[in-house]
Amino acid sequence: MVSLSIAKRLPGFSLDVRWEAGDQVVALFGPNGAGKTLTLQCLAGLVRPDRGRITLGDRVFFDSAAGVDLRPQDRRLGYVFQGYALFPHLTVEENVAFGLTGRSREERRERARILLERLGLAGLEARYPRELSGGQQQRVALGRALAVDPHLLLLDEPLSAVDAPLRRQLREELGRIIREWGKATVLVTHDLAEAYQLADRIVVYESGRVLQAAPKSELLWQPTSERVARLIGVRNLLKGAVLKSTPEVIQLRWREQTLEAVNSPSRLFLPPPGAALPFFIRPEYVRLIRKDRPGPDAHHHMNLMDGEIVGEVDQGTTWTLFFRLGVAGDPGQGIYDLEIEVPKLVYEILDMARDRRWQISIHRGSIQVLPSEGA
Amino acid sequence: MDFFPVWLTLRVSLAATALTLLAGVPLAWLLARRRFAGRDLLEALVVLPLILPPTVLGYYLLLVIGRQGPVGRGLAVAGFELAFTWRAAVLAAAVGSIALLVKSAQAGFETVDPRLEQAARTLGRSEWSVFWSVTLPLAWRSVLAGTVLAFCRAVGEFGITLMVAGNIPGKTQTLPLAIYDRVQANAMGEANALALIAVGGVAVLLFGVSRLGRLKY
Repeated sequence: MVSLSIAKRLPGFSLDVRWEAGDQVVALFGPNGAGKTLTLQCLAGLVRPDRGRITLGDRVFFDSAAGVDLRPQDRRLGYVFQGYALFPHLTVEENVAFGLTGRSREERRERARILLERLGLAGLEARYPRELSGGQQQRVALGRALAVDPHLLLLDEPLSAVDAPLRRQLREELGRIIREWGKATVLVTHDLAEAYQLADRIVVYESGRVLQAAPKSELLWQPTSERVARLIGVRNLLKGAVLKSTPEVIQLRWREQTLEAVNSPSRLFLPPPGAALPFFIRPEYVRLIRKDRPGPDAHHHMNLMDGEIVGEVDQGTTWTLFFRLGVAGDPGQGIYDLEIEVPKLVYEILDMARDRRWQISIHRGSIQVLPSEGA
Repeated sequence: MDFFPVWLTLRVSLAATALTLLAGVPLAWLLARRRFAGRDLLEALVVLPLILPPTVLGYYLLLVIGRQGPVGRGLAVAGFELAFTWRAAVLAAAVGSIALLVKSAQAGFETVDPRLEQAARTLGRSEWSVFWSVTLPLAWRSVLAGTVLAFCRAVGEFGITLMVAGNIPGKTQTLPLAIYDRVQANAMGEANALALIAVGGVAVLLFGVSRLGRLKY
């Protein structure tokens, strides 16, 4: 279990973060320059925080109050650097065996051989890093870090050096290796898909602060603030006025519509009537009412709205439609009110290229309310 | 013809280069990798011998190591004479050439990605081991190039040597001093021979250095 609570002031930047993680994969997610890598460097002992405390299980790495500051050499963490930082003057085998000091030559070779085999790098022992593909370099970097049997694996933007087509493949490979080794891992990334796929828990960073730390599914569906929602790329982030709130439902007034949203029972969030409340609707969760079927059933179709498609973007396998409600006043997002994501098949079957006027419905479970800023 | 100045110069330059390496490599590493108070001052001090007139440098050096100087007096008590011996010539050559080695090695160390050194640390290697297994192997070309430059500079040392070691034939008369002496004595044939030896030796060395650029680690 990693427990970290540190502050560090640099020219033009200050880091002040606190989070904990169990024996699993935790991702530090946030925009570039948010302090994620700095946190990793503090954790590894490469940068000294001004104050705070860092522990791993019952080992204290850093404690400014007690004057403890273990050297990186004594922390035994497997640090995989951004761009891998393989030793260019050493072979694959020498790279992997680099941390195996205090053992006989045969023992080092044997251990390196076993690791290389397990990572699918057998036969490349005598190659130099510049002769390897991106995927092979990643595996050598992981092998070098794992060789010392680290207590914790640290991955700094492991896939940022790789081109997009290969990234997906390497991400899957990385996920497989992490799971196979079963190592507690801290992963730094600015790519939400990467964080979501590889991690169990996500810590959201912005400007040197932690905005939210939560299991990944909770983060995706229950961001605790508008800022987090923006950082994780939530679309259709809107603002309504509270009409009524109960522990079960929250009623909102938005664009002359009355929307009903499920109140998350865990939050017990009861904003007063009249309060401005941010909420979001995922574009994939907007339903279109088919005109060739009987009229909408009030039990299945709630939050019914009429409007028209005012724009669209071809995403390859889906269409993004920009939907404007048929009411007076300024739309919620520029020239449109809602983004709607529709599979290509549906778009074609319903002949949406010609037919632009639609009735939509949003299930009350698909409207996520956010605590308003400062609440 | 007397070849003593050639052998003396070779011996003095080799000793001076060894001294330069011993002091210059740690100094270069310090300047490349550590931030400390007085770092800028130290860096300026290292370059100073390149800029100051050699006779001025030699004059101050003589003040320090001469019989009346603080170091010279201490050495004299220990029964060791420095000024106007071949050892003074070694010191002169080292002082005159150390900047070339330090600057070249420092630039070499600075091009080594600090993350490689950090990686070595997280893998349990001591600072000493990090230097020998990562920093130096990645910067050795710059260190070697600086060493050769420093050696060549040591071979050509004139002004400082003249001030602190004198121009004693058969004792402290190095190659450049000998050439100067022959020209003064109008022995142009001998001056010519000695000059050619100097040019040939240095040219071979510099050619070797330029070849280094093509080698990988």
